[in-house]
Amino acid sequence: MIETKILIVDDEHIMRESLAGWLERDGHAIDTVASGEAALEKLKDTLYDILLVDIKMEGMSGLDVLKYVKENDPDVAVVMITAYGSISTAIEAMKNGAYDYLLKPFDPDELGIIIEKIIRDQARIRENVYLKSQVKDRTRFESMIGQSRPMQEIFDLIMDVAPRNSTVLITGETGTGKGLAAKAIHTNSPRCEGPFVVVNCGAIPEHLMESELFGHQKGAFTDAKETKKGRLEISHGGTLFLDEIGEISMRMQIDLLRVLEDRVFYRVGGTQPLKSDFRVIAASNRNLEDAIKEGIFREDFYYRLNVISFIMPPLRERKEDIPLLAEHFLRRFSQETNKPIDHINREAMDEMMLYEWPGNVRELENAIERAVVVSKSRHILPEDLPIFKPEHRISTPQNSLKEIEKAHITQILNENEWNVSKSSKILGIDRSTLYSKIKRYSINK
Amino acid sequence: MGGFIKGSQEIIISPVENTYSGIYKSIGREIQRILGFQARINSLLQNVDFAFDPNRNQYHSTAILEKLADTAPLQAIKVIAITNVDLFIPILTHVYGEAQLGGKACIVSTHRLQENLTPMNIESGFEERMLKEAIHELGHTFNLRHCRDKSCIMHYCRPKIRPALSIL
Repeated sequence: MIETKILIVDDEHIMRESLAGWLERDGHAIDTVASGEAALEKLKDTLYDILLVDIKMEGMSGLDVLKYVKENDPDVAVVMITAYGSISTAIEAMKNGAYDYLLKPFDPDELGIIIEKIIRDQARIRENVYLKSQVKDRTRFESMIGQSRPMQEIFDLIMDVAPRNSTVLITGETGTGKGLAAKAIHTNSPRCEGPFVVVNCGAIPEHLMESELFGHQKGAFTDAKETKKGRLEISHGGTLFLDEIGEISMRMQIDLLRVLEDRVFYRVGGTQPLKSDFRVIAASNRNLEDAIKEGIFREDFYYRLNVISFIMPPLRERKEDIPLLAEHFLRRFSQETNKPIDHINREAMDEMMLYEWPGNVRELENAIERAVVVSKSRHILPEDLPIFKPEHRISTPQNSLKEIEKAHITQILNENEWNVSKSSKILGIDRSTLYSKIKRYSINK
Repeated sequence: MGGFIKGSQEIIISPVENTYSGIYKSIGREIQRILGFQARINSLLQNVDFAFDPNRNQYHSTAILEKLADTAPLQAIKVIAITNVDLFIPILTHVYGEAQLGGKACIVSTHRLQENLTPMNIESGFEERMLKEAIHELGHTFNLRHCRDKSCIMHYCRPKIRPALSIL
């Protein structure tokens, strides 16, 4: 059971201590401070679920503390404590976001009921956030489809590794469903009721990565207008998915290695060590062993991540799944666009079976989405799939896969006047991956 | 609870300004049965006037606990006071009892334990509440906090109903 952290702010020693003793026996973790100013100092370094604040104090008043909390961390429940006679101030506090108020002295059951109600409300809020993200991700998770032998092996592997707490490294080409596999591990693990937090290491600029992962204190840097929890903190009790880990800087690799070893970290600008209990799943489309040889990936970090690893098969190695996947995407997009398209015609399906799909399942998904939009009949026809025009057929057995990929990317970029957003959508990869491939293959305008 | 080293250590039941003398032996039997310690009745405090607050017309339980812990004999692993005075701590209107968490002393008041009992069950109901309250407060002195399991003696049931009624 996770302890509820409560901060008592009261300038009367005897009130503070008697309340702290009572709540400690109730099983909560209690801190006490004697002034509003001391409360603000505490709040910079420690996260609380509930604040019990006396309204009338020397110096900073309880209302000032309430204002600060609501501006900086509105999720914290603030209960005001007041003496009989200052009830109008308590009502004012309620208008300013206080959860409730108590008149001194109060009935022990009244206090207990408020605390229990706050705990229930906060749990419900966390659950709602989780359920909303589950609903949003559900469609994507359902896209992990496959009857082929390679996919059946992946499903078996996921079921084997899910119950364990070990770090998992998933490799494979872009668009093969590494993120879906990570989500499937989380969903089938004992941590499934906790959050699944994704960090796309290739999409977050290096100067923002530290704050994104570790969080920051208010005022830690110019734009830090309020204290923010990092992804490591948010993933407490769940799974942290580090996507495109091969794109992370050497400096961040050192910082992350340290966190993975002792699970303790500091927010940017913070002095309070924070602990978070999360499982790590990392993914990369880059060959990390090559990256180690190139000196851009740390060997110790690689071995820390590579406890259990598997490779997601590219779509060209499981072509028997193409009809199943294509029909699934067709159903989904025709429902979403409200277009009554029944099926993919035989010729269009043959074209799809011949194609190499360098962007893998994501490219197939985008191709079907586009076909549904442009289709003028009840069937998907070859002409609805412009990507399969003869000039797009680039399968030449003499070329290596890298050469094919480079040629295909170059062609798509040129056709779209180097519009990276448009090109990445057609290729079925995200923009950061496209940028890294342009750099890696030295593709020039 | 089976893991405590008991030896010759005992728990003292200390009556304070009480009229319910028949209850002490029952509490002693519960202590022996549930906690496994011998219990002995020994009145450690003559009165609790020192803890009386005339403004509230109640007795400050924390002050009583401090004095009780100071006066407890060395061989007493814990001491529980049973009183009929109305107890309070400054922030709350009243308390049924109080304990030093992980400490030596606890106290239970009979003053409010008869609330909501009907004439039909007043005798048995009162004794049952007293026994559970006593073991509950002693549990705090063994550093046990409130428990969410409704079948546990350390469960705190709100409102009106006192700790739920089963054995650890």
